[in-house]
Amino acid sequence: MNVRRHPFAASVSLLVLLFLWLPLIVVAVNSFNQQTIMAGWGGFTTHWYGLALHDQNVRTGLETTLYIAVASALLSLAIAVSGALWWRRASPKARAVYDGLIYARIILPEVVSATALFFLFLKIHFTLGLTAIVIGHTVWNSAYAAIIVQARMAGLDPALEEAAADLGATPWRTFRRVTFAALLPAIIAAGLLAFTFSFDDVVTSVFLQGASNTPLPVVILGMIRFRITPEINAIGLLVMLFTVTLMSMAVLIYATAGSLGRRGNMLDIYRGR
Amino acid sequence: MDRDQGGVAIERVAAPPPAAPRRRRIDTGRFARLGLLAPTLAITLVCFIVPLGLIALYSFGSVNQVDFNVYFGWTTGNYRAFTSSLYLNTLARSVILSVSTTLACAVIGFTFAYFISRQSPRAQRLLLVAVIVPFWTSFIVRTYSWVDLLQNLGPIDRFARALGMNGHIDILYTQWSIGIGILYSYLPLMILPIYVSLERIDPALFDAAEDLGATPWRQFRRVVLPMAVPGLIAGIIIVGVPALGEYVIPEILGGGKTLMAGNILADQFLQTGNYPFGSALAVSIMVVLMVLLFTLRRAQPAADPQ
Amino acid sequence: MTDAAVDISRVEKRFGDLVAVRDLDLRIEPGEFFSIIGPSGCGKTTTLRMIAGFEDPTTGRISVGGRDMTGVRPYRRPVNTVFQSYALFPHLDVFENVAFGLREAKVGRAEVRTRVDEAVALVQLQGRERSRPRQLSGGQQQRVALARALVNRPEVLLLDEPLGALDLKLRTDMQTQLKDLQRSVGVTFCYVTHDQGEAFSMSDRVAVMNHGLLEQVGTPEEIYHRPASSFVADFVGTANRFAGRVEGVEADRYAVAIDGIGRRTARGPAGLESGAAVLVLVRPENLVLNGSVGDGGLDAHVVDTAFLGAERTVRLHSPKLGELTATARGSGEPPEQGSRVGLSWADDDAWLIPAADAAS
Repeated sequence: MNVRRHPFAASVSLLVLLFLWLPLIVVAVNSFNQQTIMAGWGGFTTHWYGLALHDQNVRTGLETTLYIAVASALLSLAIAVSGALWWRRASPKARAVYDGLIYARIILPEVVSATALFFLFLKIHFTLGLTAIVIGHTVWNSAYAAIIVQARMAGLDPALEEAAADLGATPWRTFRRVTFAALLPAIIAAGLLAFTFSFDDVVTSVFLQGASNTPLPVVILGMIRFRITPEINAIGLLVMLFTVTLMSMAVLIYATAGSLGRRGNMLDIYRGR
Repeated sequence: MDRDQGGVAIERVAAPPPAAPRRRRIDTGRFARLGLLAPTLAITLVCFIVPLGLIALYSFGSVNQVDFNVYFGWTTGNYRAFTSSLYLNTLARSVILSVSTTLACAVIGFTFAYFISRQSPRAQRLLLVAVIVPFWTSFIVRTYSWVDLLQNLGPIDRFARALGMNGHIDILYTQWSIGIGILYSYLPLMILPIYVSLERIDPALFDAAEDLGATPWRQFRRVVLPMAVPGLIAGIIIVGVPALGEYVIPEILGGGKTLMAGNILADQFLQTGNYPFGSALAVSIMVVLMVLLFTLRRAQPAADPQ
Repeated sequence: MTDAAVDISRVEKRFGDLVAVRDLDLRIEPGEFFSIIGPSGCGKTTTLRMIAGFEDPTTGRISVGGRDMTGVRPYRRPVNTVFQSYALFPHLDVFENVAFGLREAKVGRAEVRTRVDEAVALVQLQGRERSRPRQLSGGQQQRVALARALVNRPEVLLLDEPLGALDLKLRTDMQTQLKDLQRSVGVTFCYVTHDQGEAFSMSDRVAVMNHGLLEQVGTPEEIYHRPASSFVADFVGTANRFAGRVEGVEADRYAVAIDGIGRRTARGPAGLESGAAVLVLVRPENLVLNGSVGDGGLDAHVVDTAFLGAERTVRLHSPKLGELTATARGSGEPPEQGSRVGLSWADDDAWLIPAADAAS
């Protein structure tokens, strides 16, 4: 590694890496720590894992969160793909508005959009609950999904669809056999991303959950607020492993299968912005 | 152009007057295209724009103190409530905290991004993964882990005392812990766009600058810095804007004592029930953000080529 | 008269205010190798796309095999296209790419197999059926695109500058292969390119377009030796031009008075009238340089020479005719720079262009 030429930057970078990874290591280590008070290492134990896996709140929370995440991911994909297909033949002005709305949904602090949606549901007497949460998640999830799908769409040679038509495929067949196939890696990656974001979400879930079952992150928040137990570390590590695996899969799928004919890495998402 | 994707194909076997089929095909095409846009319209208009508009509207409303009904009537009372020292202090502190954290994030992030960009492609990929993977872990768990780390008797406290400090670090549940939490969560978001900008710099430019007599520092100032500005500004937007509305981090690391704008806002809706005031707060946050965005966007040099 | 393979009748194509193709009338005969050439933006690609069905004419009509194609979508036309970017489906292997059209036509599995094998053999890519497009070289991808189009046995094959991305050697090889292929398969080819040499080497007939207008259609010889306008003359080669006026018709020749020189005989298109203003065209290779000035002859002095191997280009200046270019054989002594030489040309090598077209 090229360290010698930039000693200052190198040392800062090292500190940054430590900074970024320290909490993760602490969580991982403490999840096996017998000692409950943070007074050091008390011996190895899987007690907290047992507690976590049998905790009814946690199990319900997990089920609820999985349901929400899957529902929101699917909904977001439908919105993202249809939007991207529209975008292809849209006028520059319409596109600018569309892109602006994507940007707005991502940039706006979640508290503000969750608040606003909460208020709307209140006013139209829409029951808060799982459906409301799914809708709330989908507002910004669809924006993230749209970015990924659109980036891939933009890289598609338009001649591909013309070639399909030229060879006898109707518009529907063209979509099925060519466009969708080419978009599939991006769709899968976007779906996994949306799922992970939903899985992890606190703010919107807190606002819109109403009387329904509590999603896992909110369960964790409650545990943090009221009884800080090391069980949280165990749950935390499991959740972390889960989301890291999903995101790694997303990146791999997008980068390898997605690079049919062109170089694709996760930074292309940024460049597409 | 004249092709419709996803529209109903109209076949013509005989030769009709040219005008008729063309008109019909365009209509079907447009109709189908609008159909494609419908889901997006539903989610953005109905679930995003309309609620925000509603909030803006009700920010001019008031709460009946007796029956706690919220009704709409033009009053600026909610906005004037900001001038009360209680809220003004908190809000001002909230803004200052967000801004300073964003700046710290920018400096540190830029240094790191610069370091990455000077490495071999393989090392770059490794470093990027090392930065992004923590970002993929549960946000709330990461934030919570700082409670462990920062508390008195926690590892950092003991480390500082081992170095000779008296008393405890007393960081947890203060502005500082919130700042650290925000810095921690948003650092990857700052590093990535800056890195993308830096990576675009053609290494030949350094040679050219050197050939024209620039020392390493001057090269940095005159080549690297200006070309990193778009990424820097993008990073500041991506970090600074959400940071202003942070809710989870102050909740967990502020311990209910130190509040930021996001917490106050949530409070109005989830506990106090003072929707109009909350709405005013939400609108104010949005206004501040738009001003911020606008100024930053103006500062950004011509859009980078895709 | 048998149906034309493609009949373009009074077609105009507008994109908003821009007129891409105007008043086009063109017939492509079955089984011929037909090319459309012209500079960028002349409307040749637009014309091709209209035949394929990707664009609809604003006015006018296009027929393929005698059947009116107005309003017929590309997937229902008996026409296939080889795209400039090849447009191979990246997620399918060579076999499935070539079989694509057959699958859309719901051809049976056994027949698909036979026909794809046939097409792949035709373009000499046997053994690569399982490869993905990204594993193939540019030339190989191009041949897959060709096979994919031909396997459907279209009435007309459209090719949109397919050789543009290939290097020179490969391009020349492919040109020969395409010409042989067309001869053996017998399908009507409609080929678009900006490269005049490419079109000439392969085509039976060539159409020259400029700014949306059809300038001339004919065999390569006709276009080169008997251009209809100054634009065509310049597009397919260099030309020396002298202004003049028609004085009369003698047998199948015209008598022309060339400014500054006097009366000469030349060939020209039918219908030029006495007194008409014309340009006299003499190709550089037909300009003869003599060591000495003959009596009553023209003279010029040599400005510069360039040795190109098989040829030598000589730039001259003549007091009466202005700047001239001549081409001579590469062998032999080059004329000395600054020397005075005699100029002449055979009457048959002079061609008349109406001066009204000179502005194009």
